[in-house]
Amino acid sequence: MPAIAVAAVAGVLFFLGYRYYSAYLADRIYALDPSFVTPAHEFKDGIDFVPTNKHVVFGHHFTSVAGAAPIVGPAIAVFWGWGPAVAWIVLGTIFAAGVHDFGSLAVSLRHQAKNIGTIAQDVISARARSLFLVIIFFLLTLVNAVFAVVIGTLFVANPGAVIPIVVEIPIAIFIGQLIYRSRSAALIPSLFGVLALYLLILVGQEYPVDLTSIADVFGMEPRTLWVILLFAYTFVASRLPVWMLLQPRDYINSHQLFIALGVIGLGMLVGWEKIVAPVVNDVPDGSPAMFPFLFITIACGAISGFHSLVSSGTTAKQIDKETDARYVGYMGAVGEGSLAVGAVLAVTAGVVATRGDWNELYPDFATASGGAVGNFVNGVGAFANNLGVPLELGVIFAAVVVISFAATTMDTGVRLQRYIVQEIAELAGWHKLARNLTLAGLVAVAVPLAMALLPGGGDQGYTFGVLWQLFGTTNQLTAGLALSVVAVWVAQRGRNIIPVVIPLVFLLVMTTWALIVNLKNFVEADQWVLAPLDAIIFVLAMWLIVEAALALRGSTGSRKPDPSDQPVDDDSGMPSQR
Amino acid sequence: MRVVLVRPWTDAHAGGGCCGGEVRDGVCLDGRRDKDEGADAEVGLMAQTYLRLQRDLPEVDVQIVGVDNTVYLLPSVFRALRAQHGVLAALRGMNRATTAGAVLVDGESVGDLTALGVEGALDEVRRRLPVG
Repeated sequence: MPAIAVAAVAGVLFFLGYRYYSAYLADRIYALDPSFVTPAHEFKDGIDFVPTNKHVVFGHHFTSVAGAAPIVGPAIAVFWGWGPAVAWIVLGTIFAAGVHDFGSLAVSLRHQAKNIGTIAQDVISARARSLFLVIIFFLLTLVNAVFAVVIGTLFVANPGAVIPIVVEIPIAIFIGQLIYRSRSAALIPSLFGVLALYLLILVGQEYPVDLTSIADVFGMEPRTLWVILLFAYTFVASRLPVWMLLQPRDYINSHQLFIALGVIGLGMLVGWEKIVAPVVNDVPDGSPAMFPFLFITIACGAISGFHSLVSSGTTAKQIDKETDARYVGYMGAVGEGSLAVGAVLAVTAGVVATRGDWNELYPDFATASGGAVGNFVNGVGAFANNLGVPLELGVIFAAVVVISFAATTMDTGVRLQRYIVQEIAELAGWHKLARNLTLAGLVAVAVPLAMALLPGGGDQGYTFGVLWQLFGTTNQLTAGLALSVVAVWVAQRGRNIIPVVIPLVFLLVMTTWALIVNLKNFVEADQWVLAPLDAIIFVLAMWLIVEAALALRGSTGSRKPDPSDQPVDDDSGMPSQR
Repeated sequence: MRVVLVRPWTDAHAGGGCCGGEVRDGVCLDGRRDKDEGADAEVGLMAQTYLRLQRDLPEVDVQIVGVDNTVYLLPSVFRALRAQHGVLAALRGMNRATTAGAVLVDGESVGDLTALGVEGALDEVRRRLPVG
C-alpha cells in the first residue's frame, strides 16, 4: 500500500475527529461558554495573562508539544506491525489525547489557569499534589535518560553528525548575542544558522568524530562516554539564562521541524513509497505482547501526559474565549498524532525496499528498539533522497534533525527536573536543597545519568527498550492523573463522564498490566535496578487508581456547585459575563 | 487594525517538543522562574504598552507574540503586507517582524518598544488609525 494513502486516511480521520468529536466534547462534556470570562481577561497583566488570538496561542502550543518523542515510540512499535501502530495513534489521538489535552485546558480555564498539579490538589485531594510531583520527577528522569541514550546511540552510529551538532552550540550563542545586543531581526540570522548547520554536515561527513579510542582508555563503551558528556553539557546549559543558548537553539530547531515535515511529506509523495512492513507482524516467541506493550511504547503521538502540563501552564493563561480551547487543545493533539504517523511511515516505507530487508531490521524486540531511531533516520534520509539529496547526506541531515530535537528536549528536561527537585525539596522541608541551584542541578543530572547507564540487560538495545517503556509508562500515568482530574470535574457537574473515563481506565489498565509483566521479568532476570524502579512506578499507579476511584465515587451522583463556573465580578460581587 | 507587540528576547522560553516543551508554569507549583531583572524591565515595558493600548484604543486588536511563534507570526505578516506592498516587501517585512521588542501595525514594523517607550508606541499606533 502506498504510504501516502495511509497518511491521507489518517488525515481524514483526524479531520473528522476534530470536526465532530471535539465539537461534542466542547458542547456536551466541557460545556464551553463563549461568554465565560477566561483567566486571561480576569487577571490580565500584559505579561503572562494575555487574551490572545487563538492562532497565536496554537502556534505557541504546537511548538511546545511537537518534537522528538512522537518519533521514537512509533519507530519501535511497528515491531508489532504498522496496522496496530497507526490504529493506536489515530484512535488514541481522537479519543484519548484530544479528550486529555482539550480537557486539561478546559478545566484549567475554570480554575484560574492553575496547573494540573495544583488543580489535582483542589479537585482530588492534597495527596494528589505530592503524587503529581513524584510522577513528574520520574517522567523527567526517564525523559532525560532515554534522550541521552538516543543521542549517544546516534552519535556512535552517525559520527558525521557530531560536528554539526556540537558547532550548533556556539552558533546559537552567537545568534542569541547578535539578536540581543544589536536588536536585529531573528529570522535571517537563524536561517543562516540552519544553513551553517547543514553545511557542517559536509564537514562532519569528511571528519567523523569517533570516541572509541578515548572510551577504551576509560574502559567504557563509546555510547556511555557520550551519555556522560551530554549530561555534563546539560548541567552547564541549565545554568545559563534561557535567552543565551536555549532560545536561539530552539529557534533554529523550529525551522528544522518545518523542513523535516516538508521532506517527509514531499519525499513520500514524490517517491510514492510503498509500505513494505507487515500490517500485523508475526513476532517471535518470547517477545513482549502487543497488549499491553504497544500502548506504553507509543505514548507521545497517541496520548502524552506532558501535554497537560503545557495546556494547564502557559496556554491556559492566554486563551481569549473559552471556546478557543477546542481548537488549541484538540488540534495540539492532532498535530502530534500527525508527526507520529509520519514516523511510522518513515520506518515502514522509507527505510527499506523489501519485506525481507525490513524483517532484518525488526527481527526481535531488542533489535527493534535499539535500532528504531536509526531506522527513522534512514527512512527520512531515503525521503530526502527522493527529492534529489544524496542518500548519505540525507541520512546525516535526518540524524542532525533528530539529535537537535532530542538535545533540545534534554536541555529543557534537565532544567525542568531541577525545578521539580526544588519543589519536592521545598515540600519535604529540605530548604538547603531547594534554594541551592548547583545542588539541585546536580541531583537533576545525577539521577537520570545513573538511569541512562543502567547496568542491566547487557546489549544496549534491551536496556533502551526497557527504559523507553518505563518512560512511556510514567507519561501515561501523568495522562492518567490529568484525566482523573478532568473526570472528577466533569462528574461534579453532572455531565457524561464516559468519554473521559474510557481512556482513563484503558490507560490505567495498560500501564499497570505492563508494570506487572515487567516486574515479573525483571525479578526473574535478576535486574535489581530495574525491578525496584518498576515497583515504585507500580505503587504510584496504584496510588493514582485509589485517588481517582475515591474522588470519582465522591463526585458522581450529586452535582456540587463550583464557584469556578461563575467567576465573581470584582465590582459587583456578582457572577460576571463578558 | 491589529497591533502586535513582539516579546523581548530576554522574555525567553526554553525548549520545544513533547516532553521538553515550555512547561515552567505547568510544573512549578510555586511559580518558580529563571528570569533576571533586565528581562523584568523589558517585559514590564511591554505589559504597560499592552495595557495602555487596550485602555486608550479599545478599537485596536492588540496581540503579544513571541519571536519563536513561527506558525503565526510569519504567515500573518506576509498576508498583511503582500496585498499592499507585493511579495518582496512582504518577505522583508517578515524578517523585520521577528525583531524582539518590535511593534507591528497591520504587519508593518513601526519601531522598537524600548526606543519608542509607551507613549511613543501609542503615538505610532494613533497616527495609523483610519481617519473617522
